[in-house]
Amino acid sequence: MRTFLQALSLLFFSTLFVFATYKLPNWLPADIYLRLDPLLGLNAIFAAREIIGRALWALVTIGATVVIGRFFCAYVCPMGVSIDFLDLLFFRKKKRQGLKLEVSLRKVKYFLLIIFITAAIAGLSLAFLMDPMALLTRFYTFFIYPVVITIINLIFDLFRPLFQALGLVTLSHLHYPQPVFYMSAITFIIFGGIIALNRLVPRFWCRYLCPLGAFLSLFAPLGIFKRRVNQDCNECMKCQKSCPMGAIPEDPRGTHLPECIQCRTCVKVCPQNAITFPTSLSLGGEYSKIDFSRRGFIYSLAGGIGVGFLATQTPFTLRQSKFQLIRPPGAIPETEFLRTCIRCGECMKSCLTNTLQPCLWESGFAGLWTPKMDLRLAPCDQNCNVCGKVCPTQAIRSVTLDEKTHAKVGTAILRKEMCLVWAQNKLCLICDEICPYNAIVFRPVEGYRRPFVIASKCNGCGFCEQRCPVKGESAIVVVPDGEIRLKEGSYVKEANKLQLEFKPDPGDDKYILEESGFKIEEKKNTEGKGLPVEKPQPKKPKGFL
Amino acid sequence: VDQHYKKITRRKFLKTAAAGMALGFVSSPSFLVAKEEYDLAVISGEPVAATKKALEAIGGISRFVKKGQQVVLKPNMSFARTPDFSATTHPLVVVTVAQACMEAGAQQVLVIDHTLHRAELCLERTGIPEACKNIPGVHVLALQDRKFYREIKIPQGKVLERVEVIKDVLDSPVWINIPVAKSHSATGVSMGMKGLMGLIWDRESFHSKININQGIADLGTVLKPHLTILDATRALTSGGPGGPGEVKKPNLIIAGVDPIAVDSYGVSVVPWYGQNFKGRQVEHLLISHQRGLGKIDIDQLKIFKEKV
Repeated sequence: MRTFLQALSLLFFSTLFVFATYKLPNWLPADIYLRLDPLLGLNAIFAAREIIGRALWALVTIGATVVIGRFFCAYVCPMGVSIDFLDLLFFRKKKRQGLKLEVSLRKVKYFLLIIFITAAIAGLSLAFLMDPMALLTRFYTFFIYPVVITIINLIFDLFRPLFQALGLVTLSHLHYPQPVFYMSAITFIIFGGIIALNRLVPRFWCRYLCPLGAFLSLFAPLGIFKRRVNQDCNECMKCQKSCPMGAIPEDPRGTHLPECIQCRTCVKVCPQNAITFPTSLSLGGEYSKIDFSRRGFIYSLAGGIGVGFLATQTPFTLRQSKFQLIRPPGAIPETEFLRTCIRCGECMKSCLTNTLQPCLWESGFAGLWTPKMDLRLAPCDQNCNVCGKVCPTQAIRSVTLDEKTHAKVGTAILRKEMCLVWAQNKLCLICDEICPYNAIVFRPVEGYRRPFVIASKCNGCGFCEQRCPVKGESAIVVVPDGEIRLKEGSYVKEANKLQLEFKPDPGDDKYILEESGFKIEEKKNTEGKGLPVEKPQPKKPKGFL
Repeated sequence: VDQHYKKITRRKFLKTAAAGMALGFVSSPSFLVAKEEYDLAVISGEPVAATKKALEAIGGISRFVKKGQQVVLKPNMSFARTPDFSATTHPLVVVTVAQACMEAGAQQVLVIDHTLHRAELCLERTGIPEACKNIPGVHVLALQDRKFYREIKIPQGKVLERVEVIKDVLDSPVWINIPVAKSHSATGVSMGMKGLMGLIWDRESFHSKININQGIADLGTVLKPHLTILDATRALTSGGPGGPGEVKKPNLIIAGVDPIAVDSYGVSVVPWYGQNFKGRQVEHLLISHQRGLGKIDIDQLKIFKEKV
């Protein structure tokens, strides 16, 4: 029963993950697991110092825990499911002695919880490091997702001759674009480490480290289902040895209520059938206390504030004036963004073009795993606004397509010394060709046609940067200058106020191309539009003679 | 007997055509057998009707497509734009040709392009897969991986020695080019000849390394469509190739075997960037013509014109 519910939960989590992509229906909250996570919610609310609507879903989890107990860890948590299933796979037959440090290790998760909450209060979003939902979503995004695509494509390649022989046209031409992420290896090592720790003791992570578990355990003793052992118990200690959470003390009749996740393993193994989980409103006496020293509490408070302070200093956070990353369209102002983003990676998973990439140290410690746009890798598609839709804390705002178009992320600048046209007089115009807003125009300069960027028409989508044929770095790059970052309110209005226009309009292009696209008779060329007469064009004009 | 039969009908046809001209655009089923009589069919009308008529006037699709053959159609669906932008071929033109191919007994029809924008968006926005979805045997594919391409040599290449081309095009006995009429900021216009760049893997070098006009002509020496159907129902006369730009409505379908003739006529149907041009003034067309790939002077062509 429990295994079934766990499998169902993991399946649901995975399905939502698959759906988190372009064309995500508006009614489908693909980020629901992340919203339900009270630790991420608290972290974002404290760090951002405001109530975040989507984070209020976490009240459901808190409420259920208060009523039922710490069932979440045993039945719902997809990280717990992964740990349990992989445990079965790798360590089922291994003999594992309990750890001598059990009691002190168990406290670690509370220290971590306090550190994370304090750091959040100090203005640093840190819970993402160890929150199970964020961790697992990241692992799915940066590792599982690209690996699965690779495998699917390999399978297609393997069967392609067969498909061709059978005349299955669509199948024989199927190929999924391979997603690429910068931090796959790091993410994998962290997840692998969590699983490897199970070698020492089952659910090592959940017992000792998980700060979400620590948070839920605060309410767990209030739950109505409590383990009870009747007089048939012969103290065989089987339950104590098999408890995956180490929630059964030396006296097997007792239960550490904060640790008990109600998995009922003990019920199954008890040879006397002496264990039941009846409803009870009592508060379990000595075992419902959280073993936690005052000193440890003070230390971790100090630790949290310390980390929070340090992280806002260089080199852990780059100085305000040096923000140089292109953030996704709709990302709230940088300081708030860093505080609100929980680094789950959902936006990067959902990104249609794969331009959203995780940061390592580009914006310091405070910016680990935050999304940035790598526009040389891929542009931001102008028909897609999914990154905001899936953001569980709305660090990237969920806005309409029109609003998103006006959420300018930066401005393209031409690096003339690298540009094929400026530096080498070549007939290149790819940036102009691909620009969706005609923000790039050609103008005559001393007899040569040269590309220019019209900043007021550029919203930083990056098609030009990505397509620029110059090898290595692009000759046209999007810089954050001119970005519109709003915490609330309309991007359209803001853009209008700034007299920006991202509209399909041939505008300037029309005039420019009169000289460029076609060959125009000599006299027109000299008469028209103030083209310099003294310096003849070095080559025939583009396309036409 | 065959000869005899043909002769008579041809004469009959000529008479009818003359009468038709005099009366002003009268259609007659005898056009069906007007094989190879015309270099170009220029039909004015709604996309479906005009396309059908153009196919008929150029000799019927069965002139090109034989029973059991695989046919490749190459529309322009390179941009994630809806048909009204005129950056892509009208879905109704594509589906009409695809339907005709299937009716002529084609084994299957592959509608193929190497898109410039993200493939799934191009397919969604251009409306071409949507239009074709109900015709069994027609498959719309955007081939975005190198494994679908094969390198071939260009013996007469001036700037290109070899090029990687979509395998299905190389392996199909018939392929039909269905470009849209639009302006192009590098090549003046982008029609059938420029559309050849949608069949190859590496296009960036055309802009950065080699002379694009010579490059297109090089492609023309190895990639020869059996038929070109230019969708000039709309024409993007500025802001091309991706748009947005000025969209005019010539309401024309121009079909012909000679790819240069079709493009050259296409140049003449609307002013580009506000000016009238001839095919000769388009550098890549002129070069292609000079290299013997087709006729460029439209006043020397036999053109069948009709309004439907």
